[in-house]
Amino acid sequence: MQKHDNTYTLIFVCIVALICALLLSTAASSLRSKQDANSAYDVKKNILKSFGALKENTTRAEVESFFTNKIEGIIVDAAGNEIEGNANEINPEVEAKTKTPENRLYPVYILKENGVRVAYTIPIIGKGLWSKLYGYLSLKNDFNTINGITFYKHGETPGLGAEIAADWFQKNFVGKKILDQNGKFISVSVVKGKAQDYYDEPKLLHHVDGISGATITCNGVTEMLKKDLTNYQPFFANNRESI
Amino acid sequence: MSEALLSAKNKRVFTDPFSENNPITIQVLGICSALAVTAQLKPSIVMGLAVITVVSGANVIISTIRNMIPNKVRIIIEMVVVATLVILVDQILKAYAFDISKQLSVFVGLIITNCIVLGRLEAFAMGNKPWNSLLDGLGNGLGYAWVLAIIGFLRELFGSGSIMGHDVVGKLYYAGYVNNGLMVLAPGAFILLGLLIWVQRTLSKYVED
Repeated sequence: MQKHDNTYTLIFVCIVALICALLLSTAASSLRSKQDANSAYDVKKNILKSFGALKENTTRAEVESFFTNKIEGIIVDAAGNEIEGNANEINPEVEAKTKTPENRLYPVYILKENGVRVAYTIPIIGKGLWSKLYGYLSLKNDFNTINGITFYKHGETPGLGAEIAADWFQKNFVGKKILDQNGKFISVSVVKGKAQDYYDEPKLLHHVDGISGATITCNGVTEMLKKDLTNYQPFFANNRESI
Repeated sequence: MSEALLSAKNKRVFTDPFSENNPITIQVLGICSALAVTAQLKPSIVMGLAVITVVSGANVIISTIRNMIPNKVRIIIEMVVVATLVILVDQILKAYAFDISKQLSVFVGLIITNCIVLGRLEAFAMGNKPWNSLLDGLGNGLGYAWVLAIIGFLRELFGSGSIMGHDVVGKLYYAGYVNNGLMVLAPGAFILLGLLIWVQRTLSKYVED
């Protein structure tokens, strides 16, 4: 093994570092647009899924065209008024971190059939056991019946908490109601075990089956639904009257 | 001294890591990722490919510059090269295989700390020519990849009843099958890996010294 003096070592390390840095920055900047497009597409796909409009063989082009033609993204303030702007500009996570609930802006995605608003999707973010859970919740235009739910990003235990991303869990939510018979907001809760073992109609309408071995993740889902739906109640109330 | 590109010795360099000197079953390296990403077959295969790329790439690069690397900073240089390659692989996966990169999440980044990679650089690339190092890297990468693929296959089959996301058990076995929850968790992988090491060591007649 040859001896190298300190100057050589220093120069050598600098050159290696420089080459690696150049390589990485080139790669990062040239792949950036493609990566951003991928994340944006992933979001669209999940919004579509929450509306129940995503089939197994839906192509990327179909998702894009469906999104441009049938989905409208609006922004509402805490009082429930629609304000100017595009829903895609609002990052609910940043809003929640930097502002109090009264000052936040809330994105809403609306599904339109022949120009009529038929369903509304809102982002839901909460805490599971290990990680943050990100998803979308879609309501029918009575602002009461759940149309669909999806979770697209989480770091829960595979086979346990990660089952929130599974179809069987998400299907349980479809048709559940977030208001009780008197029109009071009570959200939907995930129970421990089978919901029908604990509740009869009409209470069964506000509870879904849990995942065994994933109680904390399920409680997280209950919490995030309650928290995020509460923030949207003014908007829902305003629009419910206008129907 | 010149020797044929695929001399008997070079062939051994390439094929030894498949069984007699397998990084996972004999050297018991890289266990963490082998347990973590193998709940399904597809991510296991992608992870295997990523490690093959990184090990062979890093082996070639380090072997090429092995005489220029100052000895006292060689580990740092090795880590920088490995880290660069890993981040490149991660970026490419994010751009071209988004869904899989979401599934693999941090584990692609953790290839940097995979002992197999640094182990091959230290043990082989620092003292051998680029071509031999490439063979050694490919061999070790493949040796790692096939173990992952087998574990991924078994875990997905018994844990979720499917292969590559296609429902298999449900179609072939009508009596009804309850998915084995243990298989999708890390302990299931641990048990499988233990059994695999046992079988593989028995077949290759490996004795621990």
